[in-house]
Amino acid sequence: METPRTGTSFKPEEAYAAAAERFFELMKTFGMAGGTSTDWKALAAPLATQFERWLQMSQAMTPWFSAATPGVFGGAGLGAPVAAAFSPLPLGPAAVSGTQPPHALELLGRLVRLQAELAKHWSEIAGTAAQRFVARLGAAHAAPATPQQALQLYEMWVNCAEEAYAATVHREDFSRLQAELANTSAALLAEQRRQAEALVSAFGLPTRNEVDALYAQVKDLRRELAELTRTPSATGASGSAEPGAARAQRGAKPKRAPRARPRGARRARGPKR
Amino acid sequence: MAEITRQISETLARLRAARDVTVGGSLKEAVWSCGKTTLYHYLPLTAAKHARPVLISFALVNRPYVLDLQPDRSLVRRLLEAGLEVYLIDWGNPDDADRHIDLEEYIEQHLGGSVRHIRARHGGERLELLGVCQGGVLSLCYAALHGEDVANLITLTTPVDFHTPENLLSKWVRGLDTALLESCGNVPGELLNGLFLALMPLRLTQEKYVRLLTAHPDQRAVEDFVRMEKWIFDSPPQSATALAQFVRWFYQENRLMRDTLSIGGRRVSLSDIRQPLLNLYALEDHIVPASASAVLGERAGSRDYTGCAIATGHIGMYVSRAAGAEVPRRIISWLAERS
Repeated sequence: METPRTGTSFKPEEAYAAAAERFFELMKTFGMAGGTSTDWKALAAPLATQFERWLQMSQAMTPWFSAATPGVFGGAGLGAPVAAAFSPLPLGPAAVSGTQPPHALELLGRLVRLQAELAKHWSEIAGTAAQRFVARLGAAHAAPATPQQALQLYEMWVNCAEEAYAATVHREDFSRLQAELANTSAALLAEQRRQAEALVSAFGLPTRNEVDALYAQVKDLRRELAELTRTPSATGASGSAEPGAARAQRGAKPKRAPRARPRGARRARGPKR
Repeated sequence: MAEITRQISETLARLRAARDVTVGGSLKEAVWSCGKTTLYHYLPLTAAKHARPVLISFALVNRPYVLDLQPDRSLVRRLLEAGLEVYLIDWGNPDDADRHIDLEEYIEQHLGGSVRHIRARHGGERLELLGVCQGGVLSLCYAALHGEDVANLITLTTPVDFHTPENLLSKWVRGLDTALLESCGNVPGELLNGLFLALMPLRLTQEKYVRLLTAHPDQRAVEDFVRMEKWIFDSPPQSATALAQFVRWFYQENRLMRDTLSIGGRRVSLSDIRQPLLNLYALEDHIVPASASAVLGERAGSRDYTGCAIATGHIGMYVSRAAGAEVPRRIISWLAERS
């Protein structure tokens, strides 16, 4: 049996408890606790507010949307708003705080603008979802009295919400905004890394480019070693990497000639900066 | 209300107890490796009834153990029970050292190396290649380039046309700056997972828990649920170069459909896929729409093409009870007819 490699943050019971809490909040809005008839038209506004709040919160937790949060491509610090308090270390968002070059500030400004645009979409989706839901219910519907009725109502709500969401997120303007958010986040991260590289270089520490060059050298040396030590029976050897000769016969792309390369030379493909 | 509160409390306790549940019930051994990629061979459950081994190539973006989640939800196990010799590629966890691995390396060295190793183990016999999702795309490329290695090709939830109107993922990534993306280094699995969940956020992150809330499941059902959750949230990081190429070549430029794809300087054309081809796809797939897969029949050069639409979703193809019986049954019978 395998133990999955999920991080220690994987706690299904917490996700379940949070979903349960939101479900009850929704049921309260539906008037379940009171068990009396509900003014469904009046429900649209609070329902839309709840959904909009959830969209903003949940999508901010998603790295894709979180844009310029610290370590967006490093898997850490997801979901913190751009204006979150910066940590004291001169890395991540702190690297582009007040005293940073104009380009980083410009990127941050662009991100804020894009996120404001995104917020408008969430608002539109939430409003449409609530209107759909109320229209689908009709005036005669009563507040849910049993868990089964509550679930049916919830299912209807999910359908309405997903339909409203799909109607917006399939649109070209939304897709363009999505891409722009991701591109700006990536540009900001690249800018942060550029500053970090300058910093580590100033302290005499290896930079990303240098580490990449070392990785490339190790890889080439391993390949060369495999070619030098291959035996006729190595083709079927358990747990071994593929022999170079076999690879060459298959028309794999020719790799660089490591032996011809002077010590410390850059990898031909090179890290992209 | 009091009753629901009690049920929630019980389910919470069961979820806590199930947190460390394991997956992957079938015994397997590592037989070959290349970088972070490991080729596994599953130990047979019965005498071999099929001459050729089956190699499963799963997506780079998810873990392959979903195909062997637990004994009663395991495509691998069903194949083993039918007397097939099963191998599976686990692409592993690419780290910083792997950020420049490209699609050519994955296809020619990792997938190709696995194929050659299996062929050597089986006296040079060609194999049955089963590509799943993104792994299906890699398999299509491999079969087009090295048709002599593959006796029969099976694709499962595999996208071919990336520009069909229902493909939300494609719309979202169409404007990505892939060079910039690549320069940022490996992409963490959490980011991709977040992207997949954002396709239908309420349904994929809330509704399933609410269903659990009202179903009042027993411990076994909770463990089944947690196994799936673990798999969903256990996404491997992606090599920067390979992911950028995949987004650019397939999602943005739709090269398979436009017949403009090259791998390692060699043209990859679907019309070069001549072996018998079974294409299984899901009708309610929100990640790979059915229309993205179904077109394979028109594009592949195979004269023996079988398309098979199954009424389920993307993940349902691997783990749902209904598809869990139908998918292996179709694969096994299709292969038997061609053995």
